[in-house]
Amino acid sequence: MVLVTGGAFQGKKAYAMETFSLEEAVTADGASCFWDDIYRAQAILHFHEYIRRCLEAGREVDTLADRLFRRNPEAVIVVNELGSGVVPVEAFDRHYRETTGRICCELAKRASEVHRVVCGIGTVIKNG
Amino acid sequence: MLALITGGSGSGKSEYAENLAVGLAGKEGLPLYYLATMKPFGEEGRKRVERHQKLRTGKKFLTIERYVNLKAQKLPDRGVVLLECLSNLTANEMFEADGAGSCTPKEVLLGIEAIRSRSRHLVVVTNDIFSDGVLYDETTRQYQRYLGELNQKLAKEADEVTEVVCGIPVCLKRWRDDEKVVEQL
Repeated sequence: MVLVTGGAFQGKKAYAMETFSLEEAVTADGASCFWDDIYRAQAILHFHEYIRRCLEAGREVDTLADRLFRRNPEAVIVVNELGSGVVPVEAFDRHYRETTGRICCELAKRASEVHRVVCGIGTVIKNG
Repeated sequence: MLALITGGSGSGKSEYAENLAVGLAGKEGLPLYYLATMKPFGEEGRKRVERHQKLRTGKKFLTIERYVNLKAQKLPDRGVVLLECLSNLTANEMFEADGAGSCTPKEVLLGIEAIRSRSRHLVVVTNDIFSDGVLYDETTRQYQRYLGELNQKLAKEADEVTEVVCGIPVCLKRWRDDEKVVEQL
């Protein structure tokens, strides 16, 4: 498993597509895909949006990282860094931000590689 | 050479960028220009400008204020230019009456290219406004989109890209050999 993280509008998707030779057809968009698509796709984009949708729908996310790793161990997961702002006013936003961060930690623990993208430039922050 | 310096608010990116510019000018005996893009609004704006001016005291910068239409800016000589900062310039072009509006990314890039061709070294300071996870209104998101796009384009062109964290420069792309400190696979 590979995790690609970074702020919004940093070119994470383009970086992942190029670095891992991916095509649009093998990706799932977390903002709009079916729930089970993430277990089949080679790459999952906007994974934070998938987590948001899960929370909105009341789906269980405590074991999401584990399930994803077991069922799709080769996946490239592209996710936004959400945690570097002021504590949100809305309870849901706080929950969403924290949950996404925790899930990313779980994924990063299991991932063989973690890349962080800033201004379109990827840096490998975990390898092996 | 072209250097892009990024980092969050209060990260020390300005000081790093200034030292880089001063170092380059000193080494090659070149004049130093400070291209200031921030319109000082009110007391807070004035204080911010003052703080930055103080930082530059004794560093022999010639300060030029330029809020929009960078490409029209002439420079007295081919020297070292410190442009501070891209996030202000982008906001000015988007929101000021005499700005470029929907042509902002193109105009800002043209401006940077023009300044680059009129200088020996250009150091551009930008801003990390992308990692707070807040879903802003569409206008603000458009601003983020534009600045994100510009950051990526400049980073691609740049000889050096540095992210400053707590005053510590983290090299993302290095001048001369294009290798990064943390090796890419």
